[in-house]
Amino acid sequence: MNRYFRELSVAAALALLLALLAVFAPHFYQPQPLLSRLTAQMPTLVLTLGMTMVMLTRQIDISVGSQFGLCAVVAGLVSAGGHSLALSLAAALGAGALMGAINGWLVAWMGLPSIVVSLATMVTWAEALRLFQQGKFINLPAGVQWFGLSQTAGQVALILLGLSLLAGLAFLLKNRAGGRHLYAVGSDSEAARLSGIHPQKVTFGVFVAMGLLVGVAAVFNLVQSPQVDPKCGTGLELKAVAAAVVGGVAVNGGRGNVWGAFVGLLLLATINPALTFLHVEAYWEKAIQGLVILLAVVADGLRSKRQSP
Amino acid sequence: MAHANRSLKNILLRHEVLLLLVLGCEIAYFLGFARNFGTADNLTNIIRHSAEIGLLALAMMPVIVTGGIDLSIGSLMGLCAVLFGVLTHDAHMATLPAAAVTLAVGLAAGAFNALLITALRLPPLIVTLGTYSLFRGLAEAVTQGTKTYRDFDPSFLSLGEARWLGVPFQAWCLIGGALFYGVLVHATTLGRSFRSIGFSPEGTRYAGISVQKRTALPYLLSGLVAAVAALLFTARLRQARADAGTGYELLAITAVVLGGTSIFGGTGSVYGTLAGIAAIAVLNNGIGRVPLVLKAGIGSELAALCTGALLLIALAAPGIGRILSNLGQRRAAGAPSAPKLEKN
Amino acid sequence: MKRSRFLVSLLAIPSLLVLVSCNKSEPAAGSGSGSPGAAKKLTIAFMPKSKGNSYFVACEKGAREAVKELGVDLLFDGPTNTDPAKQNEIVENWITLGVDVMAVACENREGISGALKKAQEKGIKVVTFDSDTTPDARSFFVNQATPQGLGETLMDEAARLCGEEGEFAIITATLTAANMNEWRKHIEARLAAKYPKMKLVDTKPCDDQKDKAQQETTNLLSANPNLKCVMAICSPAVPGAAEAIKQAGKAGVVKLLGLGLPSENKAYLKEGVTQSVILWKVADLGYLTIQTANAVGQGTLKPGAKTFQAGRLGELTIEDTSIILGKPFIFNKDNVDQFDF
Repeated sequence: MNRYFRELSVAAALALLLALLAVFAPHFYQPQPLLSRLTAQMPTLVLTLGMTMVMLTRQIDISVGSQFGLCAVVAGLVSAGGHSLALSLAAALGAGALMGAINGWLVAWMGLPSIVVSLATMVTWAEALRLFQQGKFINLPAGVQWFGLSQTAGQVALILLGLSLLAGLAFLLKNRAGGRHLYAVGSDSEAARLSGIHPQKVTFGVFVAMGLLVGVAAVFNLVQSPQVDPKCGTGLELKAVAAAVVGGVAVNGGRGNVWGAFVGLLLLATINPALTFLHVEAYWEKAIQGLVILLAVVADGLRSKRQSP
Repeated sequence: MAHANRSLKNILLRHEVLLLLVLGCEIAYFLGFARNFGTADNLTNIIRHSAEIGLLALAMMPVIVTGGIDLSIGSLMGLCAVLFGVLTHDAHMATLPAAAVTLAVGLAAGAFNALLITALRLPPLIVTLGTYSLFRGLAEAVTQGTKTYRDFDPSFLSLGEARWLGVPFQAWCLIGGALFYGVLVHATTLGRSFRSIGFSPEGTRYAGISVQKRTALPYLLSGLVAAVAALLFTARLRQARADAGTGYELLAITAVVLGGTSIFGGTGSVYGTLAGIAAIAVLNNGIGRVPLVLKAGIGSELAALCTGALLLIALAAPGIGRILSNLGQRRAAGAPSAPKLEKN
Repeated sequence: MKRSRFLVSLLAIPSLLVLVSCNKSEPAAGSGSGSPGAAKKLTIAFMPKSKGNSYFVACEKGAREAVKELGVDLLFDGPTNTDPAKQNEIVENWITLGVDVMAVACENREGISGALKKAQEKGIKVVTFDSDTTPDARSFFVNQATPQGLGETLMDEAARLCGEEGEFAIITATLTAANMNEWRKHIEARLAAKYPKMKLVDTKPCDDQKDKAQQETTNLLSANPNLKCVMAICSPAVPGAAEAIKQAGKAGVVKLLGLGLPSENKAYLKEGVTQSVILWKVADLGYLTIQTANAVGQGTLKPGAKTFQAGRLGELTIEDTSIILGKPFIFNKDNVDQFDF
């Protein structure tokens, strides 16, 4: 109980919000819109999973939004060229892995701070994409949306894919040596090195994995509509970081898990529709999201203070 | 002889000196090839357009030196600009008292960051990520997102164009800010303690310095400076709206890091930061004047790309050097050696 | 050793730039000092509200067409981020670059007026297009449609689609977007004046992103079960809202109209998800802007003129100091194939 206090308290906040909605806005629970809403969060979920891994190793990657836009456009162009979805997934994964490897190389092997490295790559990818695509939408051929399945089947498939990725990653991080290495490096990379882990390799691997997940997320986004908006990645890095932080992933590494980040994402993603359903004006949205993030970190601070006075 | 040679080399190869060299190359290149770069009017432009970001970068520098970061200053600028509009228009206050209240609120917002970071010992990145959303959100909520405040007092607006002794008002603000921070960081024990906190908070504590109090100060000041920047911005743009200062926090961080301040804390200088600001401002202004770029119409994109690239190169260059020299050593000694992985 | 590597790599950047500039082709430096003789070669600077936006990309295409026709030099730049000061900075930089005419689509009506007046003081002619500044800061405004006309067209079309009664909602770009707030004002005024049985239930921002527009529309649809119509007034919002309506299975039940490009909405129009898309011929707007800028710069178009001969667009009327492009088009599933932008 105490071990998962942090995750459980976020879950409790989410449950409270959902209960409020059940009382005041039962429309929220119509099945179809709920399914669409959940599907729309799957790309962000995949990014949040990657961001959790990055933060566990005590790094951060604020270039994922730009990476996402670039991967989406690459995958979109491959699909629009009449190639199979598998090929566009491969292209997105390749582009993501390459960008992740660049970040990873600069951080792990050059010893550069990840926040500055990813700040620089964020600007670089975003401007390169703008120069290349000029904001034009890419129209996709029929059969890409929902993998060519019916809408409901496609949505269910996408959610199942997202959730199995979550479960798989949770298992790897908790029960496999490679996963524990992330925690070890994030807690104390010198101690990790002395106990035979290669921190550079772990860090590099995490950034490449982040890039691969960005590619997956871009394809998850691609199959949800018949068009690709090249601006689709704007601001996603903040959503992913915020979800992980609210879900109890420590920014200074070594603490947190993907389940917490998942619940954090659900909480943040429910706030926005909740405002619509409770008829709160839209201009409060940002302020409320900021407050939720602050509340989560303050709760963290008070708790750690009580534990170690 | 060899020793003297070496120390001269060390001075020449300091990050700040190299940056000044890059700046010199930029200026020389733009003077030679960019259209109308070296005119007095354009120099005024460069200074006027970079004053707000310059001030924010100066405020960000000591924050980063202590090992922290402040992502909220751009949003706080928006909040302060809107607040100034509310006070002068909706509350019908005179300009001066309204400006004073705005500055006080900036200071209070900085204090709020400082309180969470020092009293609760929360990571600055996350605290200021929260206030980044909160401050911008409050600015939007106050104006219901849509309201733009215009028609400020003419004497206030004239500050946006004013010159004293032929030098634009914004330049005086930058000079004032640079002098203040220069003295604070380089000539006081307080400033020395910022660096020692950034280097090792524990060690500083054992040396009998109150780490929490001293860490709080740069955040307080950055709140105040964000309010000053908001007023300057309002005077220059002749309007106050919730989107003032969007993205400025990242530009300020870029200038500081480019200026040789370590993002891990512990080292950094005001003159390096100034050189960083100048390098970015000159690049932004000059690159759009190069004929080839003018013809292609890609000035803004290229300026952002080059800023990103410059940052990466400035960061990576010592690392590349280190790896190469490690390779050399390894070849010489026949033993593997790996650079220590630094932490974020 | 390591530092010298750093030095070398830093020195490499400027020298690369020098190399790049070796094959530069200097366009005739268009300084404003040339004698005002007939048909001199002008330098016209052209600024969209934002770069990398498909609307203004289409606009630029038309502008370049006119540039070719008239043989003028074109400078093209604009903001790439959401910094509200960026347009002022570009204008002030253009002043020192020495251009003859500036054509600007203004993001901040008041905010940019100071910079534009400064340009006028230096003898640079200023025209605006798409969205105006204060009238004293420019000589002509190339107007695709007045905010009032646009607001009323949108509201009338929405009323027609839902039989003049029922609830509707608006999706806008951001809450701070100045021209959209202007349109919303006129939409609401028209609503109050003419359609007492209709009700605006909510206005949501989509941050100029299709996916966000889709999520907001999904929420609006289920939070307001009686919603009869969605009005999307920024171009990425129209396909985003359409996808949401389609996913909710409410195609045709909830009407959708908006301001957007035909190419981005063709599929949804044909499927019957989107009923109407309203827009002017964007390329013509860019073309007309350069034509106007050139005529103003040559001195052939003077204040007080009542008509303007605008190249392939023929003779257009001038109302006060606004040159009107013509009425906006309403695209629907029958005529959308005729347009290629």
